[in-house]
Amino acid sequence: MALDYDVPEDKRALYWLGDKLIEFRNPVMIVVIVVTAMFAYWAMQLQLVTSFGDLLPQSHEFVKVHNKYSGTFGGANNIVVMYQVKDGTIFTQKDLSNVFKMTEAMDTVYGVNHNQIESIGHRTVRHLRVAAGGTLRAEPVMLRAPQSQEEVDSIRRIVHNAENVYGLIVSLDDKSALIRANFIEGRLDYRRIFDEVNNKVVDPYNGGNVTIYVAGEPRLYGWVYNYAGDVFWILVVTYCIEWVLRWMYFHDWRGALRPTLTGLIAAFWGMGFIHLIGLALDPLMLVMPFLITARAVSHAIQMHDRYYEEFERCGWNKRRAIVAAFAELFVPTFSGVITDALGVLVIILVPVIMLQKLAITASWWILAITVSEMLLNPIVYFYLKPPEPELVILRERGWFRKQIERFTHILMSSAGRALTLGGWTIAVLIGLYFMRGLTIGDPTAASPLLFSNSPYNVSHTQIQDSFGGVEPLIVVAEGYDKDAMKDPQVLRTMEKFQRTLERDPAIGYSFSLADIIRAVNRVFHELEPKWGVIPDSWTDIGGLFFIFFSGSPPTETAKYVDPSYTTAHVTFFARNHQGDNIRRIIARCRTFIKENPMDKASFKLAGGLIGVLAAANEELVRNDILMNFLGFFTIWIILLFTYRSFTCGLYLLGPLIASNIIVNAYMAVQGIGVNIHTLPLVTVGVGFGIDYGLYIVSRIIEEIRVRGDLVESTREALVTSGKAVTFTAVTMIVSTAFWTSSNIRFNAEMGLLLAIWMGISYVGSQTLLPILILTFKPKFIMKEAHYTQTQAQAAAAKRA
Amino acid sequence: MTLNLWTSSAIVLGFSFLVVGLDEYVAKPWRKKHWERLAASGDKDAQELLRIARSAHVVDE
Repeated sequence: MALDYDVPEDKRALYWLGDKLIEFRNPVMIVVIVVTAMFAYWAMQLQLVTSFGDLLPQSHEFVKVHNKYSGTFGGANNIVVMYQVKDGTIFTQKDLSNVFKMTEAMDTVYGVNHNQIESIGHRTVRHLRVAAGGTLRAEPVMLRAPQSQEEVDSIRRIVHNAENVYGLIVSLDDKSALIRANFIEGRLDYRRIFDEVNNKVVDPYNGGNVTIYVAGEPRLYGWVYNYAGDVFWILVVTYCIEWVLRWMYFHDWRGALRPTLTGLIAAFWGMGFIHLIGLALDPLMLVMPFLITARAVSHAIQMHDRYYEEFERCGWNKRRAIVAAFAELFVPTFSGVITDALGVLVIILVPVIMLQKLAITASWWILAITVSEMLLNPIVYFYLKPPEPELVILRERGWFRKQIERFTHILMSSAGRALTLGGWTIAVLIGLYFMRGLTIGDPTAASPLLFSNSPYNVSHTQIQDSFGGVEPLIVVAEGYDKDAMKDPQVLRTMEKFQRTLERDPAIGYSFSLADIIRAVNRVFHELEPKWGVIPDSWTDIGGLFFIFFSGSPPTETAKYVDPSYTTAHVTFFARNHQGDNIRRIIARCRTFIKENPMDKASFKLAGGLIGVLAAANEELVRNDILMNFLGFFTIWIILLFTYRSFTCGLYLLGPLIASNIIVNAYMAVQGIGVNIHTLPLVTVGVGFGIDYGLYIVSRIIEEIRVRGDLVESTREALVTSGKAVTFTAVTMIVSTAFWTSSNIRFNAEMGLLLAIWMGISYVGSQTLLPILILTFKPKFIMKEAHYTQTQAQAAAAKRA
Repeated sequence: MTLNLWTSSAIVLGFSFLVVGLDEYVAKPWRKKHWERLAASGDKDAQELLRIARSAHVVDE
């Protein structure tokens, strides 16, 4: 069938395109099905993987230092196991044997760095012993599991006299012992490590008088993987709820099915592409695909709603209704998709690999909506049986429509307009006040990824309580030449650095080469406390180092100092990784380094978990404002091209900026920090808001061309497009809020946060946006009021 | 109960068919009878709805 009926002249090309898609439906359908099947095949092979290295800003100076030295001085991937007895002390034959066996078991866990295990049961933890003839020997604290009470007593004496053990890996109350193991970054298989630690280290020894706690980043991600299965329940329940809601809204199963097809096709294309370019799904980013799919579903609901509306308007002609719905919604849908895709692509500016991967994959995924929503849409409708006329009429005169009409009437009254402008002004001012408390980095002491009563966070808190701090900050002392670490000034500066930073309440304790040299010097001088100092000459220091390290292989000594004595480290163990604490600790480190220059070495910041988190937080601070600005600017540019107006962007972005302020204030009040996980979700949330506004503004323009009156056009836009926007917002908010049931606190909080984001931006698009338009009568809308008249004059002139 | 990709796909597929079946064979006939009953009892809205619906000529080519 040709396009032989009247269509709006400026949209003739779109009507023609819609019609041609139906005409060539079979080849288009076959191509889309084949490509979708290929992407579906790849999507099925997608795996859940988190790569720790991808979470780090690799170009940051701290991360470069971390990467360079993590193999020797220890990285951020430590697992800390605490063996704690309820009654008595750990100095019993059974408990020390358990610690020894657990240490041996830990040494067999996949990916462990065998030279970086710290435990009284490991060969690398040594003490000094005066041997026959007055010589000193550095021997392991435990060579085997104790065989008698005498051996137990001997071990207790050794522990109580060893500065590198007592208080560091055995608690001062003798009730707990730590086993700290570092894992090789390239061999981090979180699921396997989680299972092996449980099966080999924890389960055989836990229970009775003994409680075992496990913390550390690999363990944390292990728990995240463990809980990742929740996502299937969440998806199933939200799918069912959405189907019921859509069926109730459209009164027809086709209305429930159509958006599902759009979401599924986009999901196959998105996930298939992720696998195709060699990436994987991050369990912490599972909210993201859900949101993109929700976006696809949201566009489809708009289209379906419009199809029903056009079906009645086009005299119950299915094909004309399909083409009209396609052509009339093409601009807002296409602009919405492009805006979302480019908006998310802005995340690529943050130099964190995971975010860059996310930016590429999410942009592609969103762009895939154009295939399912625009290319395939008219064809699917054509294949489906048209809805019964009574259903369409019923919807147009139903309860929901009446409520929207009632609300619109109140909103557009004088009191409604004043209340809207006043209410939003007050809300933004309150938001601005509270958003000052927004934290960059983690605002909580335990891991924000899981709930505070989760087994991981309980373990984390117990270990912190017993030992004061378990999260390392490694500062490297890099010498300019070999033997630099034997220089008294270098060692004294390291010691001074420790004492200075230990005054910070967030630092539990610290350790460096200076501690070893003082302990060795004291033992060498018959344990007299006055000799617990750093010697004045490098020859004395060299001699003492020789005594301590001579019996140990280089693989063991390398964790303290490199074999040429050029480089060593000062490690601070922090009580937590709260964003504010990290910022303060790093600032103090920088001040100390600036005020205490060394002749033969310099300090390099910073490795360990605290070091790399500091790097990530600094990058977030650097990029957060830029990213928000570019995100909004991109949207403004696309709106400029869509509506050919500079001011249009201001009207549409105004409510979004207001929503952003309120959501940021909510985050600050709730203690949700801006980190690499929350940053992209807020950017995606902005996209939802702009979609709502685009549909309403496009409809106002469409109506004002026919009606010529701004008030009536706005009213009609709110009760038609606004109705679909309201329904979309309700379904999206309900289904997103369901993520609050996730065991992963991060996903739960993000679900809630995004539900709030969508709620506020919906209210903004449905109240503030139309009232701003009615109040300021923007030129880009008002010029369209004369469209019909101009068209009629042009047609008359043409005929003449 | 732990779900995986296949069990959750089976559930959502089954649920979708259930909704389609209930809509086609339960909800729609019920709705039609309901409006006819209302129209027969003198409800103006119902009569108007049925009048428009019956006069509608659906073009499905």
